[in-house]
Amino acid sequence: MRIQRRGFIKYASLAAAGNLAGLRPFGALNALAQGTDYKALVCVFLFGGNDANNMLVPYDTAGYANYAALRTAGGSSIALPQASLLPLTPLPNYALHPNLPDVQTLFNSGTAALVANVGTLIQPLTRTQYLAGTKAPANLFSHPDQQEEWQNASQDGAVATGWAGRVSDLLTGTYNASATIPMVTSVDGDTLFCNGVSTTPVSVSPGNVGGASCSVGSECTARQTAAQSLITFNSGISLVTADDKITSNAYNYSAVLTAATKSVTPLKTVFPTGNPLASQLQQIAQIIQVRAALGVQRQIFFCGVGNFDTHAGQLNLQASLLAQVSPALAAFYAATQEMGVQNQVTSFTMSDFARTFQPNSNTGTDHAWGSHHIVMGGAVNGGKMYGTFPTLALGGPDDSGSNGRWVPTTGSVQYAATLAQWFGVPANQLATVFPNIGSFASNNLGFV
Amino acid sequence: MICTAAPGKRSLALALLAAASLLAGCAAGVTSSGPGPTPITVVVSGPSTDRLGMTAQFTAAVTGTSNTGVIWQVNGVTNGSASTGAISTAGLYTAPSAMPSPTAVTITAVSKASASSAGSLTLNLQNPFPTISGATATQAGSSLNYAVDIIGSGFVPGSIINAGGTAQTTTYVSATELQATVAVASGTTSINLSVTNPNPGGSTSATTKVSITFYTTTATAAARLLDQATFGPTMTDIQHVQQVGLSGYLQEQFAQPTTPLASIPTSPLPAVCLSANNPTVCEESEWWTTAIRGPDQLRQRVAFALSEMFVVSTQGNSGASIPQFHNALANDAFGNFSKIMKDVALSPAMGGYLNMLNSAVAAAGQIPNENFARENMQLFTIGTAMLNQDGTPQLDGSGNPIQPYTETQIQAFAKAYTGWTYATSTGASPTKFPNKTVNFDYPMAAVESAHDTTSKALLNGTVLPAGQTAEQDLDGALGNIFNHTNVGPFVCKQLIQHLVTSTPSPAYVTRVAAVFANNGSGVRGDMKAVLTAILTDQEARAGDTNASYDGGHLREPILFLTAMIRGLGFTNTDVNGSFYSLSNQSVKLGEEPYRANSVFNFFPPSYVIPDSTINAPEFGIENTATATLRQSLADTIVSNKISGFTVDLSATSALGTQAATPATLVTTLSTLLMHSQMPSNMQTAIISAITPLTSNAQRVRVALYLVITSSQYKIIH
Repeated sequence: MRIQRRGFIKYASLAAAGNLAGLRPFGALNALAQGTDYKALVCVFLFGGNDANNMLVPYDTAGYANYAALRTAGGSSIALPQASLLPLTPLPNYALHPNLPDVQTLFNSGTAALVANVGTLIQPLTRTQYLAGTKAPANLFSHPDQQEEWQNASQDGAVATGWAGRVSDLLTGTYNASATIPMVTSVDGDTLFCNGVSTTPVSVSPGNVGGASCSVGSECTARQTAAQSLITFNSGISLVTADDKITSNAYNYSAVLTAATKSVTPLKTVFPTGNPLASQLQQIAQIIQVRAALGVQRQIFFCGVGNFDTHAGQLNLQASLLAQVSPALAAFYAATQEMGVQNQVTSFTMSDFARTFQPNSNTGTDHAWGSHHIVMGGAVNGGKMYGTFPTLALGGPDDSGSNGRWVPTTGSVQYAATLAQWFGVPANQLATVFPNIGSFASNNLGFV
Repeated sequence: MICTAAPGKRSLALALLAAASLLAGCAAGVTSSGPGPTPITVVVSGPSTDRLGMTAQFTAAVTGTSNTGVIWQVNGVTNGSASTGAISTAGLYTAPSAMPSPTAVTITAVSKASASSAGSLTLNLQNPFPTISGATATQAGSSLNYAVDIIGSGFVPGSIINAGGTAQTTTYVSATELQATVAVASGTTSINLSVTNPNPGGSTSATTKVSITFYTTTATAAARLLDQATFGPTMTDIQHVQQVGLSGYLQEQFAQPTTPLASIPTSPLPAVCLSANNPTVCEESEWWTTAIRGPDQLRQRVAFALSEMFVVSTQGNSGASIPQFHNALANDAFGNFSKIMKDVALSPAMGGYLNMLNSAVAAAGQIPNENFARENMQLFTIGTAMLNQDGTPQLDGSGNPIQPYTETQIQAFAKAYTGWTYATSTGASPTKFPNKTVNFDYPMAAVESAHDTTSKALLNGTVLPAGQTAEQDLDGALGNIFNHTNVGPFVCKQLIQHLVTSTPSPAYVTRVAAVFANNGSGVRGDMKAVLTAILTDQEARAGDTNASYDGGHLREPILFLTAMIRGLGFTNTDVNGSFYSLSNQSVKLGEEPYRANSVFNFFPPSYVIPDSTINAPEFGIENTATATLRQSLADTIVSNKISGFTVDLSATSALGTQAATPATLVTTLSTLLMHSQMPSNMQTAIISAITPLTSNAQRVRVALYLVITSSQYKIIH
């Protein structure tokens, strides 16, 4: 269901009335919002294919030794030293990458969970079935294809929608009927994840929710009025029409977000600086903060960080990236605590794929398949690993070939369906959003 | 000459008078016919001809009375009239502005002493002398017909414009303006114009010479080509293309040598780099300067398109690696596609970015680095599905796409690409591998000991035999890919999308792919032929004559900025001559030269606009956030706030003086920025918006803002 302009007008007049009455504009609305039903999902996409094999590492003696041996070859190694790994109290046989101390803390306190060997699948698949030619997702090991299949939840064949967009199609009418912005917000540009059939996302650049700048005050009104009239002309050029639509939405959403955030007191939570992912999550936190003013009861956010395509010099590169992810996630969770919505906001990672367990000749790794992921939030049944950790053996029972590209034992669609059910998609409508969920034994992994 | 006034012989005298007054300068008089000792006579003297609008002085000699006053009449009407001419009490006649009928008038002086005593004279009116004060000749479309407009004086209905001495069908606009359409012979550079007025008093003006410019091409077609083939139209370039034509312009551009990006010196970097130790700042400044100022516009624009297909990025690479890479793309832009493939493969920039640099034969327990091997096929040449020549995917019997290569084949290519490292300072092969001495100025060089010499099974049954050198394997591998049937449609469709339209028809792709396969002389991959086919195709040119032809593509942020700097004539004011500040503007919208987030470019070629089925790559960075940011950038532009640059948009600037007449300003902006195709409703809206503004500088700013933020402008179509 599309956001109706009627909704915008309704909101605008309400805010104006508040101002005229001399009320603090959003105090009243925030009060109304207390106790209301609100939930948010936050997708953190690790672009490029995070080497989860070095994110979650066997920690027991035999497991670590096997890991280290296979990741060492030709006189070089991409194995992390055992002493550097961060142990997990509830999961003693596994440990985290040394630059994920905040995730360690969140996991140990039961606020974060790990899901092992998740990947794109059309249906459950074994190594034997894969090698025998049973249907597998299209264009495995290709970045754009695998990103899209994670985002569209592994439907059979290319589709033009993502699962957040389809959840929005389904639930906007139920939860966000009077919302003034779409259910889905991206703070990291255009991405398939956010696009529905009947709903499109709002994009926000971090730290800049407002409208365009206007340098000469005396010209602004005339300029703005005329500019908004120009987008109403029918040109007959398809792309002009498409861009007019985006521009029209931009005018509406920036007005709404400007009004909603204008007089809000900034959160006290300190986000790391010089950390683009943290800036994105901070922007998400600010929008959650004004949820009542926006009239939203359900929101899905998309943010991301890139450069995980570590074909060479992996140890340093991945370390620097995870060093951004860890404190950014911690700050965001702290912000949800500050707002008192930590049990209503669930964050989760996605990524193109994992990387070959076998190192390449440049102390890097190549494109692979099944991967491990992090889920975080007060509603998460944390401190546990879900799914099945793969057997780390080249050509072993979980290898799709001989280089350590794990055949996923959990489908990314199961991962998505679990999150979507917590968010509010009824079990009997799951197939609307996830058409091939019925091919899997479980549609809820239980981590949230 | 005889002039007679014979008393008592009135009828004869009148007849004589009539005859005599056909001659000039006579005086004539008539006696009163009354009886009396002293008859009163009035004799009128004056000219016998006068030209329309001119004056003539008449005098009356009265005898027989002391009261010599007279009343002046024209055709019997005291003081005359507008249609026959007016005459003052002092006898000063002013001819009418239009010829009366009949063309002769009678000037009469009646004695004030005796109303029955009068003298008359016939005055013959003549057309004025035509004079020309100025003339213009404007070409009609791209034809040999010129609309001639002459400004001057003395023009009458029936005035004829002569062009080169030949009378033209002439439209009388006013006594000061005439128009005609003049057909000229090919090669004509000027027209001699004169005006002939008809009889009575027919005469011809002096000759005025007006220079003419022959435009083979309309301003619309010229500007559209420039938006497709350069970093943005300028008025000068539009007129130039109009003169030399589309194909003439392409030929000129094909002949332009490369303007190279200077290689970045080792530190400390020079002042233009703004930073002592960041070569990327310097490299981006070089890139902007070349894109905006380079005379090799088509070459640089194609290199830019290629750089968005063969992507390397300074997010991962040193900026110092870019000039060698970019210069190779520019040098190869009109060469053969196979040369582009090899130069890209061996560039230290791509080597560093996708790890062919220092990729050695894999040791036991390792795999060869697959990065370049995979992306070279997937992103640069073949794609992920077998293609028809029209760019659409081939489908198997079950309706599924067909994979063009396997994981095993990717590994075979990865082996073929092993053994390359930085060249020595003279471009030679080093002795050890890897060579850790960075050299961005030369292609990579092979060290055979690091090359995997096993045999490699490639595409279409090709096998590289064991024991080949690194370069033999590289040539074999790239040649194997170059000859894959996907390359033509895969590459050509993307070039079309970058230069002309996001939505080429399958037939358009087919036509260009056919030229890629064979340039007509049996050569595959001839880029000059491919580019000519792309830019002159009927689908590229349809918009030249049909403003609502559905096509085009979003003006990506970098092209938006270059078009502004070029079109509006911004000049650089940075003390060091740096253009880097433009990066600070474009990056807000998701683009910075050679600095994409990943090898997938700023936007993916497969991007489909949400809520539609339109594949429009540039929309991958167009959303509600960036649309707003582009408006802010437009505000920065019209407010002349781009750091390090300045533009005159004041009331006294070229646009500012036009703003006195809003419609004139809007027409100019349409010509410069919108291919002379700004829709009339848009023109009306902008005129309405700026007319109430009293400052012409404000009118310019607001009109310009409205144009450049409009979707009509953002979509190059």
